[in-house]
Amino acid sequence: MEELKRTALYSWHVEHGANIAPFGEYEMPLWYTGGAKAEHLAVISGAGLFDTSHMAVVTVAGAKARELIQYCFSKDLDHCVGLKKGPLVIGRCVYGVFLNPDGTVLDDAIVYQVAEKGYMVVVNAGMGGAIAERLEKYNTDYNADVDDLTDQVGKMDVQGPAAAKIVKKLLADPEKVLANMAYFSFKGGFAGIDAAEPVTLVDGTSLMLSRTGYTGEFGFEIFIDKDDFVRVWQEVMAAGEEFGALPCGLAARDSLRAGAVLPLSHQDIGNWLFGANPWLFALPFTDDQKGFTKKFVGSEAVAATGKVLHTLPFAGYDPRKIVVSDETFVTDMEGKNIGRILTCATDMAIGRVDGVIYSVASITEDGCPAAFVPKGLSCGFVQLEEDLAPGTEVILTDGRKKKITVEIRADVRPRRTARRPMKEML
Amino acid sequence: MKELNELNLPANVRYTEDHEWAKIVGSTVRIGVSDYAQDQLGDIVFVEFPEVGDSFEQGEEFGSLESVKAVSELYLPLSGEIVAINEDLADSPELINEDPYVNWIVEIKPADKSEFEELMNAEQYMDMLEG
Repeated sequence: MEELKRTALYSWHVEHGANIAPFGEYEMPLWYTGGAKAEHLAVISGAGLFDTSHMAVVTVAGAKARELIQYCFSKDLDHCVGLKKGPLVIGRCVYGVFLNPDGTVLDDAIVYQVAEKGYMVVVNAGMGGAIAERLEKYNTDYNADVDDLTDQVGKMDVQGPAAAKIVKKLLADPEKVLANMAYFSFKGGFAGIDAAEPVTLVDGTSLMLSRTGYTGEFGFEIFIDKDDFVRVWQEVMAAGEEFGALPCGLAARDSLRAGAVLPLSHQDIGNWLFGANPWLFALPFTDDQKGFTKKFVGSEAVAATGKVLHTLPFAGYDPRKIVVSDETFVTDMEGKNIGRILTCATDMAIGRVDGVIYSVASITEDGCPAAFVPKGLSCGFVQLEEDLAPGTEVILTDGRKKKITVEIRADVRPRRTARRPMKEML
Repeated sequence: MKELNELNLPANVRYTEDHEWAKIVGSTVRIGVSDYAQDQLGDIVFVEFPEVGDSFEQGEEFGSLESVKAVSELYLPLSGEIVAINEDLADSPELINEDPYVNWIVEIKPADKSEFEELMNAEQYMDMLEG
């Protein structure tokens, strides 16, 4: 086996008691000494800091860079920003997928417009090479410069309602940087990405601050030169102390995103047709939802009507989960096999009262009892032959004797903060 | 994650290869999981108990612990009948993380007390962990 890679923070993680495990090509923290539950809850109520520098960054630049991305990526960059679906402009970013010609998923990504003719594509750990290769494959007509910056960029996610208050303490000009900063917008740059409008910290470091994340909660993804990374991580940790910020591992990242109904690439979307799932907003539908506004790799395959598997969110009734393996499957209440489990995690911030799901962030106006203390609920995604309406119950089984009943849901964790206006969070 | 020399392995209990412990309390035996097990599992979020009155053979699965990381089966260190379960863990499973020895999981009436003597003492258990 090839030796696993380590991020620049590896020693910091170990010194802070991280339980380290292999994740793809990297050795990453699962949780630190306080445990994943405390980390999960910190992100709901205060803030958490995630080392995400295992994720890959690919830059695309040139006169026809936009056309190249338009042809390879699912989102229509000319119709994607805000409710009015305006064009992607400098300072904005969008979520979408890179499909294969047969409509299966190569990876999901966020595309940032960083310059008039420059873009940054952020993809999953280990996918920088495959995405750069994909872009190069179709580059003959576009002649763009494609650069895989894998392992050359430091990336950390500051997530939680206190994230802006923490970042504010470190920024040289916080009012200017944070003012009106919308969800899925960014400012600044770092080595390799020249910023139209630089963002600097009090200590002089340049970075890119992006109002995005993978927890369903308010926060930022920060891209930074690798040489500045460990120092700035420590500065953010120190700034976050008064808000109860904790370093968070992959376990909390997984449980937070599952409760927020966000997919894990190659687990919830992957080598099957992209369709009938909660993430169809990644496709460039026309206003009447009947067609696409552009042609791109995989568009014909996903537009074709045919048999498609249904990917549906679920939530259980207690924290028990099924650890997904080749033996696990989903049955209807009569025991008939109807599909497979894609993700099963426990969102520790939620629980049920008379069947209704509340979060630690729920308030009495939501109907949540004042004394509510959640015990956690299993949640995730199942993939079924047939569509099932929210509220339908199915059974997850380990293929042996363990069975847990779960409910198909439209959504899981209530009162998420990701889209809250910046002015409420300062 | 704890280093092996940071583990709390009391000498007044016996250990199994599956990281349970057993302790004689009068005519019954209390069963729990070791500090190593709770540290490896991470936050325990749910305990699946057997019924009081159930009987199990030595090494048989009698329940499970759900942690954020995994589901871990519990195996009975010695044959016997379940005479009590630790109800506190139903509401607060995290107590196992706080102190895995105070917070026992089940209490059994042993079928054959000599099985207890076959279990590892703290020193032997540490030897096993050190591999």
